[in-house]
Amino acid sequence: MEAEEKKYNRREFVNTGIRFSIALGLGGVAALVAKRSAGGELVWQLDPSKCIQCGRCATSCVSSPSAVKCIHVYDMCGYCDLCGGYFRPGTKDLTTAAENQLCPTAAIKRSYIEEPFFEYSIDEDLCIGCGKCVKGCGAFGNGSLQLQVSHNICLNCNECAIARDCPTDAFSRVSSDKAYSFKGF
Amino acid sequence: MSRHVKQRIVSWMALGCLLAVLCSFGMDASAQQRFPKPEFENGHTQPPTFTPAPRADFMEVVDVFVLILSLSVVTWLVLNKRSRKGVFWASIFSIFYFGFYREGCVCSVGSLQNVTLALFHTGYQIPYTVIAFFVIPLIYTLFFGRTFCAAVCPLGAIQDLVALKPYSLKSWVEKTLGLFPVVYLGLAILYAATATDFVICRYDPFIGIYRMEGSFNMLVLGAAFLLAGVFIARPYCRFFCPYGVLLNLASRVSRRHMTITPSTCIQCKLCEHSCPYGAIEKPVPAHTKEKRSGLVNNAIFLSLIIPVLILIGGYAGSLLHESLAKVNPTVRLAEQLLNEVETVDGIIPLEIEAFRSSGQSLESLYAEAAGIIQQFYIGGWILGGIVGLIFGITLARLTIYRYRKDYEPNKGRCLSCTRCMDFCPVEE
Amino acid sequence: MKMDLWKGIAILAAVFMLLVSLLTIVNYLQIQRADPIHTETINLLVDRLNQNPQDVSLRDQIRELDLLVRKAYFTNQWQVRTGAYLLLISLAVFIIAMQIVEGRKKPQPELETEETEGFLSIQKNTRRWVAVGGGVLVTTALLLTYLTHSELENRFELAAQGKPEVEKQLPAKDSVVVVQNKQADVSKQAEVVPVPEVLPNVEESKEVEKKPVEVQPKQIAENEKIEPESPKKTEPSKTISEQTLKNNFPSFRGYGGNGVSFKENLPLHWDGPSGENVLWKTEIPLHGYNSPIVWEDKVFLTGANDERQEVYCFNGNTGVLVWTAVIDNIPGSPAVSPEVTPDTGHAAPTMCTDGTHVYAIFSTGDVVALDMSGSIVWARNLGVPRNHYGHSSSLLTYEDKLLIQYDHSNEAKVMALNTQTGETLWSTARKVKVSWASPVLVNTGSQMELILNADPLVASYNPETGEELWQLKCMMGEVGPSVVYADGVVFAMNEYASLVAIQLGEQATILWEDDEFLSDVPSPVATDQYLFVATSYGVLVCYDAKTGEKYWEQEYDDGFYSSMMMNGDHIYLIDKRGITHIFKASNVFEEIAASPLGEAVYTTPAMGDKSIYIRAEKHLYRIGM
Repeated sequence: MEAEEKKYNRREFVNTGIRFSIALGLGGVAALVAKRSAGGELVWQLDPSKCIQCGRCATSCVSSPSAVKCIHVYDMCGYCDLCGGYFRPGTKDLTTAAENQLCPTAAIKRSYIEEPFFEYSIDEDLCIGCGKCVKGCGAFGNGSLQLQVSHNICLNCNECAIARDCPTDAFSRVSSDKAYSFKGF
Repeated sequence: MSRHVKQRIVSWMALGCLLAVLCSFGMDASAQQRFPKPEFENGHTQPPTFTPAPRADFMEVVDVFVLILSLSVVTWLVLNKRSRKGVFWASIFSIFYFGFYREGCVCSVGSLQNVTLALFHTGYQIPYTVIAFFVIPLIYTLFFGRTFCAAVCPLGAIQDLVALKPYSLKSWVEKTLGLFPVVYLGLAILYAATATDFVICRYDPFIGIYRMEGSFNMLVLGAAFLLAGVFIARPYCRFFCPYGVLLNLASRVSRRHMTITPSTCIQCKLCEHSCPYGAIEKPVPAHTKEKRSGLVNNAIFLSLIIPVLILIGGYAGSLLHESLAKVNPTVRLAEQLLNEVETVDGIIPLEIEAFRSSGQSLESLYAEAAGIIQQFYIGGWILGGIVGLIFGITLARLTIYRYRKDYEPNKGRCLSCTRCMDFCPVEE
Repeated sequence: MKMDLWKGIAILAAVFMLLVSLLTIVNYLQIQRADPIHTETINLLVDRLNQNPQDVSLRDQIRELDLLVRKAYFTNQWQVRTGAYLLLISLAVFIIAMQIVEGRKKPQPELETEETEGFLSIQKNTRRWVAVGGGVLVTTALLLTYLTHSELENRFELAAQGKPEVEKQLPAKDSVVVVQNKQADVSKQAEVVPVPEVLPNVEESKEVEKKPVEVQPKQIAENEKIEPESPKKTEPSKTISEQTLKNNFPSFRGYGGNGVSFKENLPLHWDGPSGENVLWKTEIPLHGYNSPIVWEDKVFLTGANDERQEVYCFNGNTGVLVWTAVIDNIPGSPAVSPEVTPDTGHAAPTMCTDGTHVYAIFSTGDVVALDMSGSIVWARNLGVPRNHYGHSSSLLTYEDKLLIQYDHSNEAKVMALNTQTGETLWSTARKVKVSWASPVLVNTGSQMELILNADPLVASYNPETGEELWQLKCMMGEVGPSVVYADGVVFAMNEYASLVAIQLGEQATILWEDDEFLSDVPSPVATDQYLFVATSYGVLVCYDAKTGEKYWEQEYDDGFYSSMMMNGDHIYLIDKRGITHIFKASNVFEEIAASPLGEAVYTTPAMGDKSIYIRAEKHLYRIGM
């Protein structure tokens, strides 16, 4: 009985030793990693200067519709009548008719302000992040329509499924206080 | 017709370019835009740009607190209260908080990849909360056994709920399949260390259920795991979970692990089949000691072949390095370019197009890809070697005879679910 | 009793779950199909509507369909979401019911009567299976390796060390071997023909073309004797004077590629069908969109299809095909020619010459230097160009350098090869998309500049070193027209982009821009005062070179693919039907002549002594009096 006790004690001693060395190692790793830590929470961000509007944001996101939305930077908008982001190329009569609209889900609203200016606003619920309007606006206009991760929808996955599929590596994690990035603004 | 269209497009473009020229000559220094922002005469004010804020930072701290709190509560329930009911409700809480509310991200299982990536890539910035999610459950396990698995981990909790008709597996099946998580862990670390992919997150079967959306494959995988989980309790935890490997190791040396009986075992055998996870070790009678010499020989033989196993494993891993590296997007792109893959299904892959317009030279891409493959080569040796070592140790341990008087939970594999306690007739 | 109730609930929940998941899966699949982004039908209909904008019913159909698709998409999405919630609820109910059912069962101690397997045998068994597991892993690893290993790392490393494999194999020494190998080919192919008479007549020319085959062998034999030693003898050409180059027509759009020739007494009137002023007409064996170049009495062309690449030398006086060099077996050349569109072909780039050698490039990326008698001096492959229409940028020489604009989607660069050996002297990477324009080499006052046009850059390089001198981001699209330079101003344009006049100086700046008339194929010409632009849809425009003011525009029925050539104050421009419009380079439109050839022309004419060489669809013509 005594021998057993002894054996048990010895095992417990060894265990304690191992336990503390694991704890120490773990602490070391944590400290090392923490030294490199950015501190606060990170969120995914799309760099519009790298974005080529390939359309994968619309399909790769785990959310459906995608957490990537077209966001309108009004400060950059020229309020054009002929909006490259709103109209299909080659549209003749600039009306809101379905055959003229570039957006596949009609998520862009066009409203008259004054001659000759129109305001365009995005219905975020309808936007699927395909980037067609972004391409159009970038090619023919000021580029005020830009794709961004909309953080009220983004689940902030540990591994962003869009980032994985992005052909230009436009996604990165940034500090949450700089969650949005707009090109040319 | 084409000319007609062309002319129209030309005039259409003309309008744009005219304005562009106008603008570029205008003195608008702040923004060089093709169409200057108008000043409205009717006093229209522009709406603000819609930029919904991300989740507040302090909420992440709350998450860590909830993690610590629920770990403490579950540990207390397991070790002190010995209450299955309590653990059950705790797992319901975890499912709702860490599962449906936090949508399973970030979880401790996945966090090990972030930590690995941060270790190998100084440029990668890991948030404190992720470190906390990685370290805290390990520390708790080191002292109290796998109480994290019992009811805090949302992946485990949901499987625990559906484990309704568990069949106990043969011991050898359990042990053999139980080695797979080691391989999975190795792969996950290899891919995370090379900044290739987070495979654990990618193939997380339950995250789709918690988010209630996801790719078809992901959801099917989740459903399959749940369905299998009805009959084989917690299949993911036992045969896949890479974080479980770490917890398993930590739990073996835990200071205060849960016990089946509150005082002394009377060997009534009532608990023998109570564990759905096959983690109860039966007593080993003393008379088996007789064949000990053969066992010693076996043990010596096995410890001799451990180095051989490490070498074989390492070699196999190093052979595989190329196949493993092909998951890496850079390597894939470089391979496509090298093999002059023109199109995939008739379309030029976007990656190739993007690469070509990036201005990066082919040479530097190839050099980068070669470097990554080299990393995989080294990683393959290490990964294979470690897998070989663990196989060797497992084999060696299987030859060691250990006398056991009572029914005891296997400290490594026991998930502290406390089911067995209800079967023990002994009163405190 | 109560037990049964819970059991019933559990079963019900399970059945419900199954149904909902089935429905949700169906819905999910529908979403994939009803994806609004890829509504080809609507796009098609819109295209059709654009063609007949008056079609009201079509318009209404589009609107209806559009609404339908969007509704379907969002309804489906709502359904999937609802399905997910229902599933979850039923799962919860199922779990609760089953927990109750199972929980109420009294635990039955299963006392086994049999003696459990011995501890040792369990261990033994487990050991065996662990070993088997390990074996399976190793076997899988071996198998996978065996099946997929492709020495990627080594190949990457090789590729990373620069030098596409081809270049390594082709230093100067090998070129000698090539020459000798080639010699045999040339002798087989060269059709060296005694001088026949001038052929004013179409019918006759055909006969002449058939004759040569029988006559030739002798001269080839002579050729062969001379050749083998020749590679060494082809000493660096004493720099040929600018005047000599100007007197000839050494490259696309003349000396420097700037669209100017320096001849006198060029013919104005001719008529192809009747043979008036047609000195000769010879059939060209293989097709190509490259234009003729002229050196003394020799005219050079290339022709290619997806199997053969050939260089032709014609006698300028007689029109006889003097020799044909078949370009094949070049190390690094692809086994299969890259795909090109028929409007570009495999031989779109025009050759060039420095008087010592002639140089040709093909869609495969094969570059070859031949001496004046058709023996290959050196040949190499520059790496197969990725170009969805086909490589079309023409060649230029500058002193001992062969200048190549090689803007392709796999790699965009401008490079200079040693005209004697083919070695790369310099190569400058460019951040541009595929370009079909040709380089222009001009003296801008202080130095020679090599000016290239591409999306998005108009850029200039030092032809000596390849160093970039200036660049301006002002182009876009699929750039076809080359630039033109006159009096310190570079003019660049492309259709769907704009016409940009760039003032050179300390810094290149945009002098003026316009976008009313843009060309996508023909290149412009310019004088100090005027810029002339011809478009592929048939409009000819004259601008003030310094202000961009439009002086006149003239519309023709047939479009232009051929580029303009300016000689003195006359501008020659051939339309797609083969009519050469000759007009005055002035601010008032004045057409001097319109001379038909009777055959479609897509290439740019080469100016010879008192004559013009024109490559038409099938024939090479010399026009003169």
